[in-house]
Amino acid sequence: MGDLFLFMISCILLNNILLIQYLGNCPFLGTSKRMETATGMAMAVIFVLVLAGVMTWLARKFVLVPYDLVYLQTIVFILVIAALVQFVEMFLKKSIPVLYSGLGIYLPLITTNCAVLGVCLINVQEDYDFLQMLVSSFAYPVGFGLALILFAGVRERILLARVPKPLQDTAIGLVTAGLLSLTFFAFKGMV
Amino acid sequence: MVEAIWMMGGLGLVVGVGLAIASKIFYVYVDPKILDVEAALPGANCGGCGLAGCSANAEAIVAGKSAANSCVAAGPEVAQAIAVIMGMSLEAKEPDIALPGCTYGVADADTKFVYDGLSDCRAVALLNGGMKVCTIGCLGLGTCARMCPFGAIVMGPKGLPVVDEKRCTGCGTCERVCPKHIITLSSVTRRILKEYTTEDCTTPCQRACPAGINISAYIGAVAEGDNDRAVQIIKERNPFPTVIGRICPRPCENECRRQYVDEPLAINFLKRYAADQEMAQGKHVQPYKAPESGRRVAVIGGGVEGLSAAFFTARIGHSVTVYEAQEQLGGLLRGAIARYRLPMDILEWDIEGIKEMGVQTETGKLLGRDITVVDLLAQGYQAVFLAVGGWDSRLARTSGKEDALAAPGCHLLIDIAKAGSPGYAPLKLDGHVVIVGSANLSPQMIQRCKELGAQEITLLVREAAGDKHPGPALVRANAGIGRLYGQGNDLEAVELTDLSSGATEKIAARHVIFAAGRVPELVFIPAPAAPAPEGAPAATPVAGAWEALPPYKQPAFHQEIGLMAKGDVLTDFSAAIKAIAAGRRAAASIHRLLYNLALGLPNNVVAPETLVQNVHRVELVPLNRRQLMPLSDDKQVAQGHELEKGFSSAVAKTEAERCLRCGLICYRRELETSTQKMAVTG
Repeated sequence: MGDLFLFMISCILLNNILLIQYLGNCPFLGTSKRMETATGMAMAVIFVLVLAGVMTWLARKFVLVPYDLVYLQTIVFILVIAALVQFVEMFLKKSIPVLYSGLGIYLPLITTNCAVLGVCLINVQEDYDFLQMLVSSFAYPVGFGLALILFAGVRERILLARVPKPLQDTAIGLVTAGLLSLTFFAFKGMV
Repeated sequence: MVEAIWMMGGLGLVVGVGLAIASKIFYVYVDPKILDVEAALPGANCGGCGLAGCSANAEAIVAGKSAANSCVAAGPEVAQAIAVIMGMSLEAKEPDIALPGCTYGVADADTKFVYDGLSDCRAVALLNGGMKVCTIGCLGLGTCARMCPFGAIVMGPKGLPVVDEKRCTGCGTCERVCPKHIITLSSVTRRILKEYTTEDCTTPCQRACPAGINISAYIGAVAEGDNDRAVQIIKERNPFPTVIGRICPRPCENECRRQYVDEPLAINFLKRYAADQEMAQGKHVQPYKAPESGRRVAVIGGGVEGLSAAFFTARIGHSVTVYEAQEQLGGLLRGAIARYRLPMDILEWDIEGIKEMGVQTETGKLLGRDITVVDLLAQGYQAVFLAVGGWDSRLARTSGKEDALAAPGCHLLIDIAKAGSPGYAPLKLDGHVVIVGSANLSPQMIQRCKELGAQEITLLVREAAGDKHPGPALVRANAGIGRLYGQGNDLEAVELTDLSSGATEKIAARHVIFAAGRVPELVFIPAPAAPAPEGAPAATPVAGAWEALPPYKQPAFHQEIGLMAKGDVLTDFSAAIKAIAAGRRAAASIHRLLYNLALGLPNNVVAPETLVQNVHRVELVPLNRRQLMPLSDDKQVAQGHELEKGFSSAVAKTEAERCLRCGLICYRRELETSTQKMAVTG
C-alpha cells in the first residue's frame, strides 16, 4: 500500500507528465490561458486517461501479446483511444448530459493527445500489473492537471504585467513553462 | 505480416461498426435550426449577448429566449439571416456605441500619487481608488483598449480612450472591465433615458440645469466655432434652444465655477448665440434619432412639456402625434412672455424644428369634445400622455372655456365648486369620490360633493391630518394615489399607496378630484392582460380597459410616491426649462411602459442633496470679465425690436473662451506652473 502511495507521488511530482516528461505540451500551451479552461481540461484528461489506460492495458494483454503483434502497439493504441473517446462522448451526451456539458469541448481535444497515449505506453513499457496501471493512469493526469492549473494561474497574472511586445503571449508562455519545469526538477531531490 | 493486416483491418472494422451502432443508440436530437443559427453567428464568443458564447445564444434564439438581433458583434445582415432561419420578423435595433465619459487624462488631472505598477486600471483602482483625486475619472492605463475584442478602442494622446465607432460593435466588454464605470454603452435611446448618477462626470452647471444640458461641451463647440455641433449638443436635452436662450432663469450660471475667479459665464447667452446662428442659416440642425420602433404614442397638449415629450418620444423612434385644443402650438409661451423678450417667429422656428424631427401635430382638437383618451387608445396608440397644463389651461383658451377637462373621472375642485354656474358645465357625481387635497379643505366642498351626488367621499391627505376634519368625509392621512384604473370613459378604481410603508391597495372609485388646481401629468396605457393561472391559456386584455400612472419623479423628489406628490406641482410651469425636463422624463416613462420596464430612478441619482465631489476654489485662472449683452434702447423696443440684441460672433467667442471646461473636479488651468502638476488635494 505504502509502495503504491509513493508510486502515486512519483507519478504526480517526480515524473510529472508535462514538466518532466514533456508530453502533452500542445494543450499545456493551448488551454492554459484561463483558469476555467485549464480546470475543464484537467478534469477531462483524468476522466479519459483512466478509461484509456484500462482499455489499452487489456488490449495488449489479451490481444497483442497472445497473437505476437506487440510491434503494432502504438498504432493500435491510437485507434483504441480515438474510438474510446468518440464512444464516451456519445455516451455522455445521451446519458449524463451534465458531465457532457461540463467536459464540453475538451473531450474531442483529447482524442489524439500525446499525454494520453504516452501514459498508456508507459504503462505497458514498465510492465505494470493491473493495480499499478490503474494508479499510474490516475496519478499521471492528476500531475498533468496540477501543472496545467499552476501554469494557468501564472499566465493569468502575466496578463497584468508589462511584457515587451516580442515576448508577448506564447513566447513568454514558453519561458514560464521552462521555469516551471525547472522548479519541478527540484522534486527529484525527494528520492 | 498477414496477421498485422488482419489485426488492423479487424480493429478498424470493429471500431467502425461499434461507433456506428453507438451513434444510433446514443442519438440525441439537436434542432437543426440551432446548428444553422450557430453557423450564422460570428463565433467570437464575446458574450456581448449576455450568454456564454455563440452556441448558447443560438440555443436561446431557437428557444425564443433571445432575439434574432441579440448578437451585438454581428451586423444587420447576420440578424437578417437568423431571422430568415427562424422565420420571424426583425424589430429594428439601435447600435450601441461605447462612450468614454472622462475629459481630463491623468496627466491633466489632480493626482494623489504617482503610479508605477501593473499597467492595468483594475490593478491601480485597488490602491485607494486609483491615482486620481477624482473618484470616478479614467485611470488611463488602457484596460478597455486591451480588452476590446474588436480593436475598436485606442488610447488617445490625452491618455483617454478613443473609440472607433465603425469598429465598435457595442458588445459592452469595455463597460464591464472598466473599474470606474466611466466608459459606457451609449445610444440615442439610452442618452434620452439617462438620469445623471454619481458615477457620471457632471459639471456644476450641468447638475443645476433642470434639463441636464451638457453645457461645457456646447460652449467648447462654440469656442471652436462649430455652431452646428453646439446646437446638436443642446438639442440632445432641449428642443427649444432659441426660445430658452432668451427666457431661461439660468440656474446654471449661479453654479458656474468661474464665479470663484470673477463672474459666471454667460451660459444662456451663448446658447442663444448658437441657436441664432442655426436660425440665421435657415436650416434646422437635428440631433440623432433612433430607428423606427413601429409603436405609436399620442400626446395631449401642445405646450412646452407636450412638445418636448413628443420630441424625445420621436427621437426614441416611436411615431408620435400631438393634439392641441388651440389653433396654435406653444401653450403658455404664446401669451405669458412679453414679445420684446420672446418674438413669435422665434417660437415658431423652434416648433418647426420639433415637427421636423417627425412629430405629427393636430391643432384645434379639444380633449373631451373632439378626442378622448379611450378613443385614442382604441385607434391603436399604445400610450397616451396627458400634458394638459401646469395650471387650469382653460383660462388660456380663447374659446371652449366651458368644456370640462375630460380625463375620465378626473375633475378640478373649481369644476365642483362652480358646476352649473355660467361658464361651467353642470356635473353629476356618483359612487365613491376621492379628493386629493389637504386637511385644510373647506367643509363646504365636501358638502358640495354630496349635493352633486357623491355617495361616499374619501379625502386623501399626504401628511398627518391633525385635528382638522372637514365635514362628512373619511380622511385617509399619509396616502397617495399611484395608479388609476378605468374601463371606457369611466374611472373604476384607484391604487392607494401608504406613503410610509409603501403598501398598496386597490379601491373602487368613480371620481378623483384634484384640489391643487391642476390635472397631473398622466400616461394612459391599455390595461395588460391579467396574469393567467398556471396551465391556463393566457388571458386576452379586456377591450377598453386602461390604466393611468404618473411619469417617474424628477431626481430632487425621487423618493416621493404617487400623484400630486411633493414637487409634482412644480414640474412644468415655473420655468419653460423645467417643462422641457418634465417632457423628457415623460418620454422616458412612456418608453419604459411600452417595453414593460420598471419606472423609477437608481438610488445613486444626482439630487440636490446628493454629495457630489466638487471644488470650491479655482487656481491658476487669470481674471477675464464677463461680456455684456447689448440692449436696445426704449425707442427700438417701442419699434418692436428685441430688448436683448444677442452676441456678435466675436463677443460669443471671447465669452466661450472664458469657460473652464469643467469636469467633476477638473477644470482648465491657463497658467501653468512647475508645481502645478503635483497633487492639489483639498
